[in-house]
Amino acid sequence: MRLKLLYLLRNLLRNPRRSLLTCAAVGLPVMIYVLSMSVVDGVERFLDNSMTQLRLAVTQKTSIINPLPAGYRKKIAALDPSSQRIIAVCGMSWIGGRIEGDPRPLSTLAVDRDAFISAFPEFQLSEDEQAAWMRDRRAIILGRSTARQFGWQVGDRITLIPSLPPYSPMEFHVISTAEKATDPSTNWCHHAYWDEIKKQSGYPAEIVGFLFIKCATRQDMDYYRVAIDDFFANYSDATKTQDEKAFMNEFITQQFNLPRNLSILSAVTVFVAIMAAGNTMSMNFRDRFSELATMKALGFGRWTLFSQVQGESLLLCLLGGAVGAFVPYWAFNYSPLRNFTVPLIQQLEVTMVVCLQALLISAGVGVIAAAWPAIQAWRLSVVTALRNQE
Amino acid sequence: MVRRLSSLLTFVVVSVVVLVLAVLLSFAAGIRASLKSSGHPENILVLKSGATAESTSILSPDEVNRMVQTPGVANSTTGELLISPELCVQTSIPRQGSGAMANVAIRGVEPMAFEVHPEVRIVAGRCFEPGVLEAVVGKAASERFSGLQVGSLVQLGRLNNQVFEVVGIFEAGGNAFESEIWTARTTLASSYDRRYISSVAMRIESPAAVPTSLDYINGPAVRLQAKTELNYYEELSSKTREIVLLSSVLIFIMGIGAVFAVANTMHAAVDSRRREIAMLRTLGFSRRSIGLAFWFESLIICLLACGCGLAGSMAFSGTKQDFLSDATWTVLAYQLQVTPDIALTAIILAVTVGTLGAVLPAWRASRVPILEALRKA
Repeated sequence: MRLKLLYLLRNLLRNPRRSLLTCAAVGLPVMIYVLSMSVVDGVERFLDNSMTQLRLAVTQKTSIINPLPAGYRKKIAALDPSSQRIIAVCGMSWIGGRIEGDPRPLSTLAVDRDAFISAFPEFQLSEDEQAAWMRDRRAIILGRSTARQFGWQVGDRITLIPSLPPYSPMEFHVISTAEKATDPSTNWCHHAYWDEIKKQSGYPAEIVGFLFIKCATRQDMDYYRVAIDDFFANYSDATKTQDEKAFMNEFITQQFNLPRNLSILSAVTVFVAIMAAGNTMSMNFRDRFSELATMKALGFGRWTLFSQVQGESLLLCLLGGAVGAFVPYWAFNYSPLRNFTVPLIQQLEVTMVVCLQALLISAGVGVIAAAWPAIQAWRLSVVTALRNQE
Repeated sequence: MVRRLSSLLTFVVVSVVVLVLAVLLSFAAGIRASLKSSGHPENILVLKSGATAESTSILSPDEVNRMVQTPGVANSTTGELLISPELCVQTSIPRQGSGAMANVAIRGVEPMAFEVHPEVRIVAGRCFEPGVLEAVVGKAASERFSGLQVGSLVQLGRLNNQVFEVVGIFEAGGNAFESEIWTARTTLASSYDRRYISSVAMRIESPAAVPTSLDYINGPAVRLQAKTELNYYEELSSKTREIVLLSSVLIFIMGIGAVFAVANTMHAAVDSRRREIAMLRTLGFSRRSIGLAFWFESLIICLLACGCGLAGSMAFSGTKQDFLSDATWTVLAYQLQVTPDIALTAIILAVTVGTLGAVLPAWRASRVPILEALRKA
């Protein structure tokens, strides 16, 4: 086995230029694969988390753009007098935001102070952070990538201009950068503070954009998904209740359908890698046509020749794939690239799982690329092969 | 035989890279084309100060009245000021095919709107009557979303309980309006229980007068936010910059990969033709012409592949897509467009890949030692 591996390596080194070029031609598409799948993966992790959190999203039936009366919160909570099945009802409003003189848009949600911690346990706020959140009306929890992007830290005072009327500046105190939150870019602040800002300018304040309901079990979730809509059916604002995953998915598929489009792109790049590696393998095979025939004449079996051609391709593609997969892994986890404040870089998390997947795919590329030459090696007729040589 | 296969594989690699380039860029081009044609250079759009889109802007009737004095506003043929107060709301309408819900914009307008936006033309049916629950639908919206044909009934209103009849389809030169539903402003205001309006569009007499008018509205007399429509839609299309950036990074990486694939093939070509090259040299061909020959060979492969990739991308061109703008929160329908610019970018990419991939092999070919190459054969 060791001898064979050595032989394969030696074979690759016989034409180092070709092997290197192929490594690169396979490695770069693999790199793209890793990057795009990391994006898709991030979206999926986000959606999966939404599912496990057993939350329902309640919006106005006609359109999410229409607000709901803030009083719905108490009415929904009253649907479960025991408070055993509905753990928390959290009113939320999207207020967007940006900072003075900077075009970069932010995503900020105003949430009910008292319900937020129990409705979003995945934030895993420390006791100090929880205390600060409850105490400080102007508390804001920043998304970690947003915090890095703007260079904000816990303890900073920041001023945001909301994207909704009355557009009056709001001052916030950063109390956490939500290292555990699944969404790395959204910021969270008190709904009461937002209401206050609106009241000052005479805008209606007793409204929320939508409500999130944290349920105790999956059965409760299924039950209230129907029960809430039934309850509000005859109110002036009927509701539409769906689980958080479906709610989020609506946004994601409407915005370019990134997961689907990137998956197509990944498939295309893998195809390119197969072509590039296949090119090399067919050239290698052609160069060593007579050599393979000689080996066969010497008594090496079909399997040996077949596995030699396959093994060489596999090794080459694994080498290229390893570089293509682990360079981004290193770059996004350990390198100075992490300090760049470009949102795309900040929000991307390249995980080991994706890298291993990419490696597996590189192996697949190797096998497919060498399939035809390997079959030819298997079928090789010694007589014809040797006769053809000049 | 080997070179045919090898060239073919390289050809496929380059055409796929060109195809990806063209398709990715055609998304951005389509969106930009749709937004860009929406603005008229002599039109200005007034929003509440601080608002980034019509959908989050609220203007009171009082604020609208302050604008009547704006200098430079053009007059219609009947002598009225070309000022069009508009109300923008939204509704959810299922897409055709997938049935997934989309946020569609509804614009409430007064008759004046059709003079301020003269590109809007009814192409089927008739225009809505004020005071009746009637609406006209943009061409793109009627194609993308279900139940928006002439004669169909659509439920609108804040409580979704007002049944509007679609009485006409309009075209607007492929711009953003075509993704919308238009109806009379007063009708829409009562259906959606809105006392305010969202934005005001006005036509200025000449492009030269536009800065004065903008200053007037932005200034102390009106204190609202005015920009030219071109600017407004340009800002909305900022999202496309992100797509272009992302595409560029991806294409750059794939392009380098293609360079390596081309180099590989060309190296093999040189290797397998050492004897032939030596022969040509003996016959008197210069080093330069040998090198150039390999460079041309690579260019031919890449340019043919480029043509093939572009032809492939034409199959996607014209595909109808829509996306949810994160500024307006309404969907904008657009068509993928492979523009001449994109074709040019693709050709530049192909030439670059062909050249970079051929540099070393061509140099090697021109340096083939004649005697050794002839003897070895």
